[in-house]
Amino acid sequence: MSTLAERLRGVVRSGGSASPGPPCVPVRRPGAAEAEEGPDPAGGLAALLDGEWRESSGQRYLVIDRTYPPGHRHGRIAVADAAPGGEGGWPVLSVVAAGVGPGRMLFFDLETTGLAGGAGTCAFLVGCGWFDGPAFRIRQFLLARYGAERGLLDEVAALARGAGAVATYNGKTFDLPLIETRFLFHRMDTPFAGMPHVDMLHVARRLWSGGLEPTGADTATSCRLAEIEQSVLGHVRAGDVPGCEIPSRYFQYVRSGDGRPLAAVLEHNRLDLLSLALLTARTAGLLDGGAEAAGSAREALGLGRLYRRDGRAREAEASFARAAAMTSEADAQTAAAAWHAYATSLRHARRYEEAAAAWSRVMGLRACPPRLAQEASEALAVHHEHRDINLRRARDLARQALELTGSPGRAHAVRRRLARLERRLAAADLF
Amino acid sequence: MLPVRRTDPAHDTALQTVLDRLTGGLQGGQDTPDGWITARRVLPARAARYAPFPAGLDESVRDVLRARGIDQLYAHQALAVAHALERRHVIITTPTASGKTLCYNAPVLSAIRRDPSARALYLFPTKALAQDQLAELHALAELLSPDTDGIGVFTYDGDTPQDARRAIRGRAHVVLSNPDMLHSGVLPHHPRWAKLFDNLRYVVIDELHAYRGVFGSHLTNVLRRLRRICRHYGSSPTFICSSATIANPRELAEALVEEPFELVSENGAPCGEKAFLFVNPPVVNRQLGIRRSYLAETRRVAGEFLKRGLQLIVFAQSRLATEILTTYLKDDFEGPAGARERIRGYRGGYLPQRRREIERELREGSVRAVVSTSALELGIDIGALDVCVLAGYPGTIAATWQRAGRAGRRSGRSAAVLVASSAPIDQFVVRHPAYFFDASPEHALINPDNLHILVDHVKCAAFELPFTASEPYGRHDVQEVLGVLAEHGLVHRTGDADGTWQWTSESYPADAVSLRSISSDNFVVVDTTRGSDVIGETSFTSGPATLHDKAIYLVEGRLYQVERLDFEGRKAFVREIDCDYYTDAITYTKVQVLETCEAPDAPDAADPATTASHGEVHVSSRVVGFKKIKFYTNENVGSGELDLPEQQMHTTAYWLTVPLGVMAALPYAADDRRDGIVGLSFAMRQVAQLLLMCDRHDIGISVEAGSDAETHMQEPRVFIYDNYPGGIGFSAPLYAMHADLIARTRGLIAGCACEHGCPTCVGPVGNTGPLAKTVAMRILDLLGTTTAEQLSA
Repeated sequence: MSTLAERLRGVVRSGGSASPGPPCVPVRRPGAAEAEEGPDPAGGLAALLDGEWRESSGQRYLVIDRTYPPGHRHGRIAVADAAPGGEGGWPVLSVVAAGVGPGRMLFFDLETTGLAGGAGTCAFLVGCGWFDGPAFRIRQFLLARYGAERGLLDEVAALARGAGAVATYNGKTFDLPLIETRFLFHRMDTPFAGMPHVDMLHVARRLWSGGLEPTGADTATSCRLAEIEQSVLGHVRAGDVPGCEIPSRYFQYVRSGDGRPLAAVLEHNRLDLLSLALLTARTAGLLDGGAEAAGSAREALGLGRLYRRDGRAREAEASFARAAAMTSEADAQTAAAAWHAYATSLRHARRYEEAAAAWSRVMGLRACPPRLAQEASEALAVHHEHRDINLRRARDLARQALELTGSPGRAHAVRRRLARLERRLAAADLF
Repeated sequence: MLPVRRTDPAHDTALQTVLDRLTGGLQGGQDTPDGWITARRVLPARAARYAPFPAGLDESVRDVLRARGIDQLYAHQALAVAHALERRHVIITTPTASGKTLCYNAPVLSAIRRDPSARALYLFPTKALAQDQLAELHALAELLSPDTDGIGVFTYDGDTPQDARRAIRGRAHVVLSNPDMLHSGVLPHHPRWAKLFDNLRYVVIDELHAYRGVFGSHLTNVLRRLRRICRHYGSSPTFICSSATIANPRELAEALVEEPFELVSENGAPCGEKAFLFVNPPVVNRQLGIRRSYLAETRRVAGEFLKRGLQLIVFAQSRLATEILTTYLKDDFEGPAGARERIRGYRGGYLPQRRREIERELREGSVRAVVSTSALELGIDIGALDVCVLAGYPGTIAATWQRAGRAGRRSGRSAAVLVASSAPIDQFVVRHPAYFFDASPEHALINPDNLHILVDHVKCAAFELPFTASEPYGRHDVQEVLGVLAEHGLVHRTGDADGTWQWTSESYPADAVSLRSISSDNFVVVDTTRGSDVIGETSFTSGPATLHDKAIYLVEGRLYQVERLDFEGRKAFVREIDCDYYTDAITYTKVQVLETCEAPDAPDAADPATTASHGEVHVSSRVVGFKKIKFYTNENVGSGELDLPEQQMHTTAYWLTVPLGVMAALPYAADDRRDGIVGLSFAMRQVAQLLLMCDRHDIGISVEAGSDAETHMQEPRVFIYDNYPGGIGFSAPLYAMHADLIARTRGLIAGCACEHGCPTCVGPVGNTGPLAKTVAMRILDLLGTTTAEQLSA
C-alpha cells in the first residue's frame, strides 16, 4: 500500500486545474545548479541588487535607491525637461483627477506574486518615484522575507504620506486595491485613502490609444505601457522581462535564495516608473499648453476629450478644432472622430451653421465609419428641417441616414422623421 | 411568527371523506403490500409546549416579539435560544413550520443589541433561501432599531453588484450568504472582511442535512478555513445549525464543525392530526411488471382532494413531471380563461418575481394547488396547506418527512399521500411501509479528509494565511500535505526557526475548487440548434456516459441529441430534437482490489458477515455502447457502439463475495448463474442507495462474475463503489450494514410481483436472462440460511 505522501503526490498531480498554469518560461526547481550562491546569499543580495538592508522586528527587507540626473534621457525626453519644479507636483492635473494640487506627485508601481488579488497575493516589490528638483528619484522596497512585510509597509506608508497625490498605470483596478489589501492584512491604515489619484492608463487611452502614427491601416489599440512609452516617448526597451515571468522569478528567488533573476525585475519596475513619470509630465504639459501644444491630430483629439470630461467646453472645442485641422485623409478614422467631436461641441455651443459645416466634413470623408456618417446625416437632416429650412435636402439626408442605420431604435426615429418630412413636402407641393 | 389559521370543522370533515373514499374504509395500522393502498397511518395531534423567554434575551428583542404577538416561546425555541445565548453550539432538528428561524434570529439580534460591534454570518445551501430569510430578518431588525444606521442585514452572493460589496463589508451586522460564496468570495479576501471576522459572534447554518456526501465534505473544510481565520482575528463564533430530521443530526453537526454540539430535537410546536397514505398504482402487465402511470394516479388522488375544496401541494420528482402534472390539474380544475389561476406550477427555473407571487397566493389561499419540484421543500414560507401529495418517493426518509410537513396545521387535520412510481426504490418503500414509518431516517455521511478534497482546501487555506510548522488541519498530517505541495512549487517553507508555509503560486486556488463536486474538471453542453449556447455541464466522471455521441440529453423536459463529443476540449455539441426515447450508456467497469480493510479469512456462507469486505480499489471504466429506451414503456428500441477513452480512479468499495460452495450448490447452468449474480447486483444497488441516503450517481456497481467453476474456481464478487475519486465514505458504513443490505435485497426481490425480473427488482428481462430472478433468490437464500456443513455435504 502506498504511503500518505505517495497518495498525496498522486492527488496533487491529477489535481490539474488548481496547480499553476505553465509559466511562460520553465521555472527552475529549487536546488538547481545556481543555488550555490555563496555562504551568505542575503548579504550577497544587497550587493547584487545594489541595495541596502533594513530591519524591522528581526526581519529584513531590501531598499534600493536610484537617482536619475537632470540630463538622463529616457527616449526623446530628458528628465530635467519633464520635472515639474516647485514642490514636485502639477496642479493642472486636476483636470484629469479631482483634488490634485501642487504637492509632490508620487509615482507608484507594484510587482506582485500574481494578478488574482486576495489574501495570498503579495506585492514583493513596491516601487516609488518622485521628482526631486530637476532630478528623478526611485526607491524600491524588496520583500526579501515574507515576514518583513509589515516593516516594509510601514516605511512605504511613511514615504507616501509625504505626497500630495499618487500616479499609477492601471492603479485604480490593480495596484492600489492590492496594496490596500496588504495594509488591511496587517491591520494598518492605508496611506492612499482619500489621496488624489491620477491613473495614467485611463489618460493614455484617451490621449494616445490606437497608436500615434497615421498609418492609415488599422492600428493596434493596445495600451500597454511599453508600447505607449515607445510611441510617445520614443523609448525602446531592450531585454525587458515579460510581465508574466515576473512572479515565477520571485518564487525562484524565494526557493533558492539566488537573487540574480530579480535584477531584471527591478530594472523593469524602474523603467515603468520612469515612463509613468514622463507620460504624466507630458500630460501636464499638454494641459498647460492647451490645444496648441498637441503634437498630432490624435493627441489634440484626446486632449479635447480630457477637457470635455472635466466640463471645460471652450478648451475642448479649441482642441477638437485643432485636431480637425491637423487630420489628413490618410487617417480617416482619426479625421472622422475629430470632425465629429468638433461638430458636436459646436452644436452644444449653439453655433449651428458652423456645426453643419463640420457635419458636412464628416460626411465628405472617404472611408468614414458608417456609424459616424449616419449620425452626421441625421444631424444635417435636423439642421435642414428646422433651421436652414430645406425640406428636400433634409429628406434626402434622412433617407441616407436610414440606409446607414444599424440599430432598430434609431431606424424607427429616422423613419418617423422621414414620414414627417414627406408629409410636409407633400403639403408644400399642394400650395 | 407563522400565520395562525382558524380551525375549520368543515375542512376536517371534507378531509375525512376523501381519505375514506380513497382507502375504502381501510383503517390505520394494517399494511397491505399488494393492495392499491399499501398503508394508512395516523399520526396523532400534539399539543403545544411553551416556555418563557430565556433569561439572557435582550429586553428589546422580547418587546419586538411581543409586538408580533409572541408572548412566550415554544419549548424547543426557548432551549435553543438559551444554548445560543450562553455560547454553546446548538443543532435544532424540528419539523417544517415549527418556528426554527426564531431559534437563531433571536439570539443573534439580542447579541447585536447588546454589542453593536457583534456580527453574524448565515449560510444557506441556495441563494433563494437567503433571499427568503432576508425579508423576515429585515423586518425584525427594522422594528428593533428603526434609525437608518441601525442593524444592517444584507445578502452577499454571486448576484451582489460589485459596487455594493464594499458598503456591505462595512455595514452588515448580519451577512446572509452560501458556502460557495464564503469559499471563493469571502475567505480568500478576509483582510477586507476584518470587521466581520474581528467580531464574528454567531455562524448560522440552515438546512444542515443538505450538506452530506461531497458537499458536506467540502463544507467541513470551508468551516475549518473559516475557524482558522477567526482564530487569526481573535474571534470564536458560536454555531447555530438547523436540520430536517435525519438519524444523526448531532453527529453531522459535530462532523461539519468539529466541535461538540447541544441537540434540540423535542418539538414544542403544536400540530394537528395527520393521516399518511401509501398508494401503489395497479399492475397492468404482470409479466413485465408494468404498473399504471404514477402521474395519472397522482392526478386522480389530487383531484379527489381538490374537488372538496382542500388546498394542496404536489411534489414531483423532476421538472418534466412538474410541468406534466400542472397541465393535468389545470385541465381538470382551472376556471374559464382569464379567471384567477387556481393551479400553479413551481420550480427552480421560474423567475423570482413569479415565485414570490405564487408563494403569496398560496398563503392567501387563492391558489388551491401548487405542483412543485424540491424547490418548495426547503424553508420557503407558503403557509400551511391541507394536503401534500408526493408523486414518486423523494429518495430519502428525511426528504419525505420534510415535504410531507408542508401540509399540516397547528390545529385541525391534514394528510400526506405518497404515490409510488415503478422505480425500484419507490416499490421497495411502498411495499415495506415499516421501513419508512418505523426505521430511523438516514444517516448523513461525510468524509472531509478525502485526500482530493483535503488537498484542494489546504491550498485555499495556505493562500489565505500561511500555515505554521505546528498548526493542525484535518485528520491527516497537514505538514506532510504541505510538503507535497512544496514539491510542486505551490508553497514554500520559510527558512526561519519557526518557519511558515508561504503560498508561492500565481493562482487563486479557490477558483479551481467547486464545492458541489470533487473534481473541478467537467464537460460543458453546447446547444447548436440556434447559434451556440451553453445549456448545461456534467462532471468529468459522468461525462462519457451521459454525453457520448448520439446520447439523448434532457434539460427542463426538452430533448437534445449529442452530435459530437469533443473529449479533449471537454465539450458536447447538442441539437434539440423530438423523439420518444432516451439513451442509457453501457459501461464496462473493472474493479481491482488494492487493499482490503476488513474481510473474512475465507468467505463462509454460514456466517453472513464473512462474505462482505470493504477497502480501497482501482476502478477502470469505459463506455462501450448505448441502448435506446422508449419513454414510459421502457422498451429497448435500439443500440449503438461507442469507442471512448477509459476512465480510471482510485476509490473505496464494499463488496460481496459469493462463496464457491454457494455457486456449486446452484442447480443451474453457468450462464444462468452469471445472470443471477448480475440480477443480484442490480437489486443490491437499489437497496444500497436507499440505505446510504445517496443519489444514484454517488455509487457505482461492478460484477466480477468469477470464472467457470471447472477451470479457475474463482469466487464471484459484487462491488459497490464510491463513485468519486478517493471515496466519500460510503463503503465502511455499507460494510457495517451488510446484513441489512442482504436482508432488504431479498425482501425487494421476493416482494416483487413480476415473473422473471423487471426494472423494480433484478432488472428488465432484456438485460438479464430469464432465470436471473430465480437464481438471485437462490443465492440469497443460500447466503442467509445454509451452513457450511450443508454445503460441503
